[in-house]
Amino acid sequence: MKISLNWIKDYINLNDISVDEIVEKLTTSGLEIEEVIDEAKNFENIVIGFVKEVKKHPNADKLSLCIVNDGQEDFHVVCGAPNVAEGQKAVFAKVGAELPGAGFKLKKAKIRGEFSFGMLCAEDELGLSNNHDGIIVLDESAEVGKPFSEVLNKNDVILDIAVTPNRADALSHIGVARDLAALFDRELVLPEIKLQENEKEVGELAKVIVENEIDCPRYVAKVVTDIEIAESPEWLKKKLLSIDLRPINNIVDVTNFVLHEFGQPLHAFDLDLLADKTIVVKNVERNTKFTTLDAKERILEETDLMICDAEKPVAIAGVMGGENSEVTENTKNILIESAFFRPSAIRKTSKRLGLSTDASFRFERGCNPEITIQAANRVAQLISEIAKGKIAKGELDIYPNKIEPKVVALRFSRLNKVLGFEVAKDEVLGMFKKLQFQLVESDENKSSFEVPLFRHDIEREIDLIEEVARIFGFARIPAVEKISVALEEKIDQTKFDFKLRRQLTGLGYYEIITNSLLNEDNAGYFDNPISVLSPQTIEMSHARTSLIPGMLQTISRNIRVKEKNLKLFEIGHVFKLNNGNEVNSFDDITENEHLLIAVTGKKFESVWYDEDTKFDFYDLVGTVDEILKKNSFDKYLSDNYILDEDKVFDFHIEKKFKKEVVIVGGKVKKKLLSKYEIDQDVFLFDFNLDLLQKINTGEPAYHDLLKFPKVVRDFAFILDKNILYIDVVSEIKKGSSKLLKKIKLFDIFESESLGAGKKSMAFQLEYYDEARTLTEEEIEKDFWNVIERIKSKFNAELRGS
Amino acid sequence: MEQKIKDIISAFEKDLSDVDNPQSLEDLRIKYFSRNGLLSNLFEDFKNLPKEEKPKYGQLLNITKKEAQEKFEQLKKNLANNLDTQKRFVDLSLPGREQTIGSEHIISQTIDNISSIFKGLGFSVYVGPELESDENNFESLNFPPDHPARDMQDTFFINDKFLLRTHTSPVQIRLMKEKKPPIRAIMPGKVYRNEAISAKSYCLFHQIEGLYIDTDVTFAELKGTLVYFAKKLYGQNVKYRFRSSFFPFTEPSAEVDIWWQPKGKEGRWLEILGCGMVDPNVLDNVGIDSEKYTGYAFGMGVERMALLKYGISDIRLFFDNDYRFLQQF
Repeated sequence: MKISLNWIKDYINLNDISVDEIVEKLTTSGLEIEEVIDEAKNFENIVIGFVKEVKKHPNADKLSLCIVNDGQEDFHVVCGAPNVAEGQKAVFAKVGAELPGAGFKLKKAKIRGEFSFGMLCAEDELGLSNNHDGIIVLDESAEVGKPFSEVLNKNDVILDIAVTPNRADALSHIGVARDLAALFDRELVLPEIKLQENEKEVGELAKVIVENEIDCPRYVAKVVTDIEIAESPEWLKKKLLSIDLRPINNIVDVTNFVLHEFGQPLHAFDLDLLADKTIVVKNVERNTKFTTLDAKERILEETDLMICDAEKPVAIAGVMGGENSEVTENTKNILIESAFFRPSAIRKTSKRLGLSTDASFRFERGCNPEITIQAANRVAQLISEIAKGKIAKGELDIYPNKIEPKVVALRFSRLNKVLGFEVAKDEVLGMFKKLQFQLVESDENKSSFEVPLFRHDIEREIDLIEEVARIFGFARIPAVEKISVALEEKIDQTKFDFKLRRQLTGLGYYEIITNSLLNEDNAGYFDNPISVLSPQTIEMSHARTSLIPGMLQTISRNIRVKEKNLKLFEIGHVFKLNNGNEVNSFDDITENEHLLIAVTGKKFESVWYDEDTKFDFYDLVGTVDEILKKNSFDKYLSDNYILDEDKVFDFHIEKKFKKEVVIVGGKVKKKLLSKYEIDQDVFLFDFNLDLLQKINTGEPAYHDLLKFPKVVRDFAFILDKNILYIDVVSEIKKGSSKLLKKIKLFDIFESESLGAGKKSMAFQLEYYDEARTLTEEEIEKDFWNVIERIKSKFNAELRGS
Repeated sequence: MEQKIKDIISAFEKDLSDVDNPQSLEDLRIKYFSRNGLLSNLFEDFKNLPKEEKPKYGQLLNITKKEAQEKFEQLKKNLANNLDTQKRFVDLSLPGREQTIGSEHIISQTIDNISSIFKGLGFSVYVGPELESDENNFESLNFPPDHPARDMQDTFFINDKFLLRTHTSPVQIRLMKEKKPPIRAIMPGKVYRNEAISAKSYCLFHQIEGLYIDTDVTFAELKGTLVYFAKKLYGQNVKYRFRSSFFPFTEPSAEVDIWWQPKGKEGRWLEILGCGMVDPNVLDNVGIDSEKYTGYAFGMGVERMALLKYGISDIRLFFDNDYRFLQQF
């Protein structure tokens, strides 16, 4: 919202207060100034100069050497304008000026060997027009030395305020002035309204009926006749332009002016276009069509509150008027509407139509039902002054249920308890008075105030406490220097995630964070996705059901910038619909936290110590095994090996806890990769962290350090190629006593010498006992037992035997 | 005799110090330790001593010879080591076999930094679902339906009852419903806003909110706590201000600005967080006696903190996950 400081000064004297102070106070008290537009600042160092002397430049035909006086000193100035002449009064930009039309800062310059301390300006250089024919020559009477901004009347400061939704009262110049009155302890002076009404009663000229009293608690109408539509006077146009409003004609401009003065939206109807000269406030049938002032046809709902005449709708209440009753250049008589509408009714219509106007913006935040007559009178007064209208006597005022102001009490002890500092009672009372709160009663412990009706945000004691903090300033509240900490149980629910992050980064992985919203195709590839209403783009229409699309997008994007060798992980939530398509309760959705780890590209790429080596599946399995082991999950999970292709993987592993799949990982199949334009292998593992954390691993247990020697034995078998490592291991375990503590596969290969369809696997077994040294005999027995088992179970051949 | 031993030893030590190659070492050995060497000759002299002097010199001779031999062996070893080094060549300047320590996403690192500060002040850390009910995200937090305050946050609705949370405040609601005061916790997590993606805004970002409820919580304590936090994060000399603001779930509400002074540019106030005293309506909504208990809450955007700290100008970089970006942190 734009506020003009010159305009504000009509209601409060701020002449001795700097703009910076005003900005700081308003901002810290809740009216945040987002931008300060200082008109004069654009013309700093630009003054009226007197051209004392003009000589030809010795080195340039088209240039002149001038001596320009700024009222105090003479300056040498080189000028290229054809019209420069001695005795002129011209616009002189001194060194340091930033020319509004040129966009650079003026410096001392040497032009063809002659120094120039500033320049004489043409209109284009000042941003006044595109004219560059010559310098501006001012009238004889112009006062040398005077800032040029004053000549142009550019002396306003415009504040752009971000008004929070609770502060409907501040959506006008008087509203902001009221805060300033409290902040600087000044008097607020409201405009004096004197009406010269004629004999004719308003009731003879028009009629108002309010059918929907709930949505329209108050409707005031005033009639002005015999007006002359014209352009507005300069002062009015200037005020509107200063806050970026386009002047239209004297009637519309006055209603806009009063809106921004008092914050009360007003509308002027062409009275002669209203059937039966009657206003009816009511709802109309669903699907009624109505063309608003912006020439757009709107389709109405039966909940939309409408202003109608005896036959048809003429305005959408509180939002926008209609074309059919608009004030035009032919208008002679007008009806001025000044109403109070129920905020949520206006908001609903405005939202549904996607039509937010200065009026709806204020009505939906809450206007002041008590100001309606005053605002209508102000409009009538100004119209009679500038459009020569005759004001009919009195007003039509439909206000069946008067809205009574609330009375709210403030306990000083509570003020202290919430803010943690004491404010003197007198100071508090003085402040509320400035904010136009009526003191109802007061004693040592508490004071009660009648809350003005324009303060919709104040209903409770806490709201009064906020006013105290806001106006006195949070800077006055001391920051405590020590705190006490209650010793209730402290919990960190992010601890596990951060532990995983540390472990994975230690293993060389980088964490990524991708968008949880995907297009339907990507989100729906894995599960039944949940869609969002009206997304910005269809690329973000559904919540992800898996972290995989985000990972593949990331890999694809990196490959495009030649980052092809990647170790990545992401921790994030995934969402799915359980059954059906509706979300009616939390039971209809599953939201889980997942971890996705991926590798792609090369492990070594042209390095001196190794040949090019691609990442393979086992690189990632190594990471997964280490993570599971380090967090003690390994013992609780069982594996499933799936060599068949599915939707995602070429081959994959499932790790289950009891019957639930907790981890899935494998080699991503080409068909899926090609969707993301990835043409290199990608391996990934997806963990459901919520399920994983259900496993109660307990605290890691300590084992005594081994005091007795370990014994190792190696063997190698030739066996069928399709026998799984894990099956051999399980057979080794079965054939061993508890003395076997570790099994390591140290070699695996296939070769022609072994025979077709055969492979060699070499294992190292480690034996020990925590309580004693093992004997050769018992190890040999164990070892040979295993060998015999493997031989018979897999039809294997012991190598080297 | 005694003098002779002394002379030979001092000559030996001098010769020893001159040895610098295998040849001179061998010469030394022959001169002193060979069969006709100077030390061996001493034993010949010993044989000719009178009987009564023999015990005295026997011991001395043995010790002397042993010490000399030890010195000789030591020198031999040193010489051998030196020679080894001189003989082989190792290019110690070669780069090592590459190993990588990855990194947490800069957003995770920022969350960790901020969380650590508050954990140090006795705050717990709680998380909650991102897909939330309108009740938890808005209604319980004092956002009435059809209220302009809802316009402050562009919301991704699933339907009229469910949405992607617009802030982590619903975790506060869940916590307050579950636990009795005192409650002192922070809630980090992802939040969503239905906004067009640009350099300045993204459809999701991370927030950390804080909540403290007890019988004697004041704004002065909130201020002290946040000033401590701002100093920890931005330095002890940080210039700050508390500015009145509006959030439906707190009252009084404020925003905290810090003075930002980029090098060579004009300084300005930058908002870093929002805060306030928990609105009594919110406490009542979750069944906490708002007359007995007061509380404060605060919230900040993690991306914003990271943008500021590292001078990053485009928020999309956080979610592009370009390896060249990830590797910088």
